Order: sequence, then structure tokens, then C-alpha cells
Amino acid sequence: MSEIKVMKQRDMQQVTAQQRVIKIVAKVITYIFLFTMALIVIFPFYWMIISSLKTLDEYRLSIPTLFPKFIDARNYIEVFQNKDLLLGKLFMNTLYVGLVSTILSLVITVLSAFAFARLEFKGRNALFGFLLATMMIPGELFTITNYQTVNAFGWMETFTVLIVPFLVSVFYIYLLRQNFLQIPNELYLAAKVDGTTDLKYLWKVMIPLSLPNLISITILKMMGAWNSYMWPRLVANDDAHRLITNGLRTAFTDASGNTDIPVQMAAVALVSLPLFLVFVFLRKYIMKGVSRSGIKG
Amino acid sequence: MANESVATKTYFWYEFRKKLSAFAKKIKFDQWKGWIYLSPAIVLILIFTVWPIFNTVRMSLLEGYTTMKEVNGAVFNFGIGNFKRVIDYPGFLTCLKNTVLLTVLTVPISTFLALLIAVCLNSIKLFSRALQTIFFLPYVTNSIAIGMVFAAMFKMIIGGQARPDSVGIVNNVLEALGFDYINWMNAGSEYWANIVVMTVYIVWNALPFKILILLGGLQSVNKQYYDAAKVDGTSRARVFGRITVPLLSPMIAYVVITGFIGGFKEYSSIVGVFGEGMGPVGNAYSLDTMVGFIYRAIGKQEGTASAAALILFAIIFVVTMINLYVSNKKTHY
Amino acid sequence: MKVELQNLTKIFPSRNKKSGEEVIAVNNFTFTIPDGQLVGLLGPSGCGKSTTLYMISGLQQPSGGKIFFGEDDVTDLPAESRGVGLVFQNYALYPHMTVKQNILFPLQNLKGPDKMTKEAMLERAYEAAKLVQIDELMDRKPSELSGGQQQRVAIARALVKMPRVLLLDEPLSNLDARLRLQTREEIRRIQRGTKITTVFVTHDQEEAMSISDMIVVMKLGVVQQVGKPQEVYDNPVNLFVAKFLGTPPINVFEGEVKGGKLYIGQSAVLDTPGVDDRAVTVGIRPEGFILDENGPLTCNISGIEVMGRDVSIVSTNEHSLNPVIRSIINSDANINAAATEVSYSLKPHKVFIFDKETEERLYFEV
Repeated sequence: MSEIKVMKQRDMQQVTAQQRVIKIVAKVITYIFLFTMALIVIFPFYWMIISSLKTLDEYRLSIPTLFPKFIDARNYIEVFQNKDLLLGKLFMNTLYVGLVSTILSLVITVLSAFAFARLEFKGRNALFGFLLATMMIPGELFTITNYQTVNAFGWMETFTVLIVPFLVSVFYIYLLRQNFLQIPNELYLAAKVDGTTDLKYLWKVMIPLSLPNLISITILKMMGAWNSYMWPRLVANDDAHRLITNGLRTAFTDASGNTDIPVQMAAVALVSLPLFLVFVFLRKYIMKGVSRSGIKG
Repeated sequence: MANESVATKTYFWYEFRKKLSAFAKKIKFDQWKGWIYLSPAIVLILIFTVWPIFNTVRMSLLEGYTTMKEVNGAVFNFGIGNFKRVIDYPGFLTCLKNTVLLTVLTVPISTFLALLIAVCLNSIKLFSRALQTIFFLPYVTNSIAIGMVFAAMFKMIIGGQARPDSVGIVNNVLEALGFDYINWMNAGSEYWANIVVMTVYIVWNALPFKILILLGGLQSVNKQYYDAAKVDGTSRARVFGRITVPLLSPMIAYVVITGFIGGFKEYSSIVGVFGEGMGPVGNAYSLDTMVGFIYRAIGKQEGTASAAALILFAIIFVVTMINLYVSNKKTHY
Repeated sequence: MKVELQNLTKIFPSRNKKSGEEVIAVNNFTFTIPDGQLVGLLGPSGCGKSTTLYMISGLQQPSGGKIFFGEDDVTDLPAESRGVGLVFQNYALYPHMTVKQNILFPLQNLKGPDKMTKEAMLERAYEAAKLVQIDELMDRKPSELSGGQQQRVAIARALVKMPRVLLLDEPLSNLDARLRLQTREEIRRIQRGTKITTVFVTHDQEEAMSISDMIVVMKLGVVQQVGKPQEVYDNPVNLFVAKFLGTPPINVFEGEVKGGKLYIGQSAVLDTPGVDDRAVTVGIRPEGFILDENGPLTCNISGIEVMGRDVSIVSTNEHSLNPVIRSIINSDANINAAATEVSYSLKPHKVFIFDKETEERLYFEV
């Protein structure tokens, strides 16, 4: 009797040992997979940076170096001196367009979201449904006519044309409305009894309470200006109003196919730098905004 | 506290408020207020969203419509000629083929990879945060700029010799693994090689968003399901197939649908890698897409552009509906 | 300040568009709340008591009728200019502001000649906070407070601008039983101290009875009865009011008046001179029963609950409209615990009879 018991116990021990081994192997495989993927994901950034620090001769070596032989900042100097690129001007243009459109867009979004979330009026739900439905239509469909419209308005090659057509984002209105709806209606009623106007309530209660979402919207909107390419290319492709992404692509489009890649990489790194800073410091807000959106920029 | 109320001290102001609100009540200001708050949004939407919808349909139905001719007083006949022209045009078929091919390749690959990474990330503790940060990094990038980096990684630098000076880092890796180098995207490169480059880049670009959504979904799954499965002695594979995937199905459906929509609107990533030529040197527009087609017709052939845009909308609409239909059948809530 | 409601009516448009039926939430409510009194609006949910409160506050516009604060017609005045204080059921404290900021908030909204200096506002805020004994908690956020403390902050916020009328919407329903008793007394004390005319809404009759100077019992938008709590309890005008007030609730029987006598079943239980012969519904307060071996009303005992000073006898009777009859008897009475039946005679002023159809009270001479 006791012998059987011992046997069983030993079996059990063996089984758990086996399970433990499987578990460890699974963990190891998981980590190998994750680190490999992480390496692949991060490699382009690495390649961009080290290439930007190489001389053209070193870059052309048939056996590439994984780290530059000596760090060479000349590519960066060259980027700033590049007459085709005018990096400083592009930065300022983009910053200006980004800031103005973000501020105006926030005002419009907050007012609209408030109306949809808190005010009662006829046609509210129909209008909101219509706005949501327009989200299904690809933006390219609007672009054709908007191009004619801004042309008719005489807005070509101005900052207006880069700002105004995109001030209303149905998605941000939707996002903020959902946020506003979560704020209990009693707070609104309490504020009324306490003697506030609608606008003051918005400013003092609703905006502070939905600040994380507003920050997310701000970041995504700024990133949108930074990354927008097609529309600026169409309507404001002059030196005075060109935005950064367009400028970058235009400066390095070369038919021969043999551009000076280290300089190009230095430019790309400079353009990416603000985005990295945003990523480092404000990642939380971006991730929050993105996980509710799926809209890039 | 005194019982004397503050408000009665301010008789004039108070009477004014009273008259004002009686007036507001009379004109039903409550009904108006909402519209006033919405007015900036509504004006902009009327100009930049509603009018384009009508105008696009109008232009697409006017034979050979261009704004230029209309301004000069030309009159156009109604008809579906624009749609016919779009479909008959060989360039458009190339665009359609490229768009569909890239979508069909990248959506499943990126979804599968993202699911795998998300599940792995969810199962570990050590390095979990650091890895999450790395996987999210590509999201915060400029698709044109990083497209140029990918181009640099795949491109060869041709020198005077038979063998290029540099074959590019990707080819270096291939050679290290014992393969021959491939002309991925230089002049004379083959179509399939171009497509591989684009697929790699688009998948790389699409991963962070999908991982974020799926990981978020995984983290919100009630741990009790897994504990219950553990108590029942369910195997890992079974847990994945029978618990994780079904509970995650709404998120999977979501990333697939947004992936399809994004895929059909592919344009700037190709511009990033290949430049505005939309193809390797000497073979321009071989990688053109539907959006690229529309953009090139803007300001020139509005009738054609409108017809193409409506076709794109129709495709996206149908694909989304099919996706929703399938996911409604497959999702478990 | 007295508050006068004249023919106050609120009609909500129907949610269901097809049927087109409107909902009359408050129907023709006329009532004057005397200056400095604490009035409880009482009724089951959906009786229109909260709607009435919201109309007094200005948050809802009446469909008809007028509201006066003193001699001042405020019907058209929006909530923000009415100068009322309102305490919400869930307190509605601004979660991102500290207690101090919450209490200061109404003062900061004062405009024109009412505008106060910062020092004056702070002084007033601390005064209000002291009144409800939360002056130690001024720098906390609402999330760091207990339910009872949040409740006090809400009261302080409502009181700080010295409102013309203080309104409380179910102020005790989110508190646990012990706190409820304590807060009840607190509200009473503050109201007595400030002498602000106060209206509060509750569905809990015990709460209303215990602290109100006056109660208003409502049902489906219609006022049933107004009066001092004890008066309403002793003299309900109809079956609804009789049933709504009192714990344990009133015992209801079906009965008949024949020849000046009230019959429950075959036995004549009480003389009811002045009531014509008809079918009636009889309400007997639990304390209206007297143990009496020869009493006319006989019931089957199903249990005896000892409550210390009193004893509650639970019994059944085929003519009872409630599942059980509950009587409260002084524990000094000699109760046979083994008995299966009990007989009662009745205290006439604890027995109310109502018309079976209209459920209106039928008065008889005691």
C-alpha cells in the first residue's frame, strides 16, 4: 500500500518537474520572440541615426559598419545649410500651422461636444448621427472639391488653407462628447444653482475634468500638422508656406536614385526629433488617445 | 448668518435678468442655444464636408468634367462616362491591383504578428514596460520620413563595378545568412521585390496601433477566466483558442476593419519609400494606388477624380460591411 | 422668506412619439411655504416631488403656474439668478476642486454689486464650513472624504451664499443608517439656526415626519395632503396617505358599513355614526388594537415579535388586504403565547374608513 503511495508521489513530482521545464522553455521562447521583434522594430531608428553620423565614403563600404568609425556631425551642418530644404523655415511654418489649428480646433470641438452632450434641442441626435456617418467617407473624396473651394476663396499658398479646412474633426467631437457624458449631469445643475453661465461651467468644471482627453487631442492634432503631406503638397507648395514633411520629401527626391543618404538621414533624424521628444514625455496621453481612436495624426 | 439675501440688494440687475430670461423663454432660446454652440462647426462642415459630397457626385456624373472648362462656359452631358473611363483606363487597374494586393498582404500579417506580440507581452512581467514602449515607438513617426529610412535600408548604391558599392543593410543580412543579394528597389528591380519592401514597411508601420488595441483588450479580460481555465487543467493552446481569441474578438474585428480602411487609402507610405514617382527609377507609377490616382487628377480631371473617389468609397463601404457582417457572426458578444 | 407656489404644473412631452401621451409630472400644485419653515415633500418615486423641487430651484421651467419668493415673482428667472441653494442626492461636488474651492465656487460667481472681495469670500466660506463642522477638511478633495463629510460640504456649498431658499433632494439616501439619524438632526439644527426656508424631498416617510415642520404628501403629480406631520398621520384624507405614513404600516381590511356600524366579515367592530351604508376599506393603525377576550375582531396568530417596550403580534384574517396584520401592544399586557387566536377591540381614533371606490376618507363621529 505505502509503496504505491510513494510511487504515485514520485510520478506527481515528475509531472510537475516536466511542467516546470515546459514553462521555462515557453518563457524563453516568448522572450526570444519579443526581443527579436523589438530589434526589428527599433532597427530603422538605429540605422537612421548611425547612417546620419557616417561619411558618405563609410556609408558606401560594401561591408557596412554597425557603428560609425568616427562620429561626424558634418551631415547635420549640411542639412541646415541646404538651400533646397530651409529646415528652420519649415519648422516655423509647421509649428505655426500646428499651434493655430490646434487652438481653434479645440475651441470648436469643446463647444460642439458640449452642445451634443449637455444641451437639449430639436435635431440634436439627427445631426450627431449625420456627423458620425460622414466619418465613413474617405477624406480623398472631399479633397477634390475642397481644392476647388479654397482656390475659389483665393486661399492658395496661404496658411489659412492649411488650417481652416481641417478645424472640425468629427472624431474629436465624438471623443470629447463621450467624455462629457461621463461627467454627472448633477454637476451642471449644481453649477447652475451656484450661479454660473454655461461657458463658465465649461471652463471651470468640464474642461478641467476632461483635461487628459484634451491633451491627447492637442498632441494628435500637432502630430497631424507635423506629418501631413498630401494636402499641403497640393495647396501650399511654395517656400513661404511649405510644411516640414512635404519639404523633406521634396528636397530629397532625386531621379538618379543616388542621393547622399547620410545627409538625408540627418534630415530625417532632425524631423523625427520633436516627435521622439513628444513620445518620451507625453506617451501616456498619446496611447490613451490612440487606443480610443485609430486615427493617425 | 443673516437671513437677508444677497440677491435682493441688486434690484436693477436682478430685474434686468428677469426680463431677459422671460424674453429668452418667449423666443425659446433653449432650442437655439445648441445651434449657436455648434455654429462654427456647422459652417465648416457645410463648406468642407457636405458640399464636397454633393459636388463629387455631381462632377462624377458630368461627362469629361473639368473645372477649367466649366469656368470657360462649357456645358457637360449627364452620364456615367467618367466611371467607364476610370475603369477602362489601364493605369487605374494597376492602382486597384496594387491597393488590393498590399491590403490583402499587410492586414493579415500585421494583425497576426500584433496578436502574437500582444499575447506574449501580456504573459511576461520582466521588461514588459520597456518592450511595450519600444513596440509603440513606430506609431509616433512620420511615415514619409521613416519611409526614407526604409528606402536607405533596401537601396543599393551603384558604383562603377559589376557589384554595387553597397548592397544595403537588408541585403547584407541576406548575404550573411547565405543568400544572394536582391535588387529590391533600384532601377530594374522586379515588381514582387517592390511589393515585399512595401509590405515590410506597412506592416512595421501598422504594428504599434494594433498591438496597443489588442494589448488593451487582453488586459481588460477578467483574470478569473484564466484562473478558471487553470483549475480545469486547460492546455495553453486551448486557452488561447477558446478563451483569449473569442474574448478578444471585438478588438480583433476593430483592428482588421481599420486596417482594411487604411489599406485601401495607402499612399503616403509609398511616397515615403519610393518618392513621388510611386515606383523604382525607370518604372514610375508601377506602385501607384487608388488615392495616388485621385490625387494626380485633382485640379485637372475632376470628373474622373470624383468617379474614382466614389469607387474607392464604394469599395471601402462594401469591405467594411462584409467585415462587420463576418465579425458579427464570429465575435462572441 | 415664504415660498408660494400657484397652480404649478409640469408636463413632459411623451417619450413614445406614437402614443403621443404626455406625462403630467406635477398637476396644479398650490401651496405656500411659510417663512423659515422646514417642509418635506414626500411620496413614492415618480410622484413629482423632485420635479417640484427642481422647478423651485429654476432648473426646470414649469409648464404652467407661478412661483413667488416672498412677493417676488421668480417664475421666469433661471436657476443661476434665483439665489437658491440646492443639495443633490449624490452631492454633486466638483471632483477636481478642494473642499474650500467647492464652497467658494458659488461666491465667485456673484456679479455686479454683489461681488465680494477675496477676504470676505474666505471668511464666509469658513463660516459656512464651521456651521457644518468641516472647517478642518478645507484642503481635501471630495474623493478623500467619507459620505457624511461630502454631504456636509454639499450643505455648506448650498448655504454659503445665504440662499433665499434651501432645497435638499433626498439628502440622506446615500448615507448608512447610523449616519442618517445623525445627519437628520444636523439638518434640523442648521435649519433652525439659519432660519432659511427649506424644502426637502424624500421617499422615506419616517425621515420626513421626524424633522419637518410640515409635510406635503404627493402621488402621481397631485398633492394629497398638506399639514404638520402628526396631523397628517392622525388624520389622513385618503387611503394612499394612510398607507404611506407610519411604520409598521397601517393594516387594511375590506369591510362594510351597515346601519351606523362597521362590519369586518360578519362581526360589527365599531360604531360609525354619520356614514351611509356602503362597501368600505378599513385602515387600522398598529397601535389601534386593544387586546380583549371578548373583542369583535378575531385573528389567527402567526407569530409574536418582542421589541422590548412593545410587543408586535403578527396575525392573519381572511378579510385583511395585507398578507399579515401587525398590532403593537404594550408588553405589560398579558399575552398567551400558546394561543392560536387573538381577539381585539379597536381604538376609534386609530381606525379610518375609506370609500371602496374613491378611496376617500369617510368621517364618522367618535
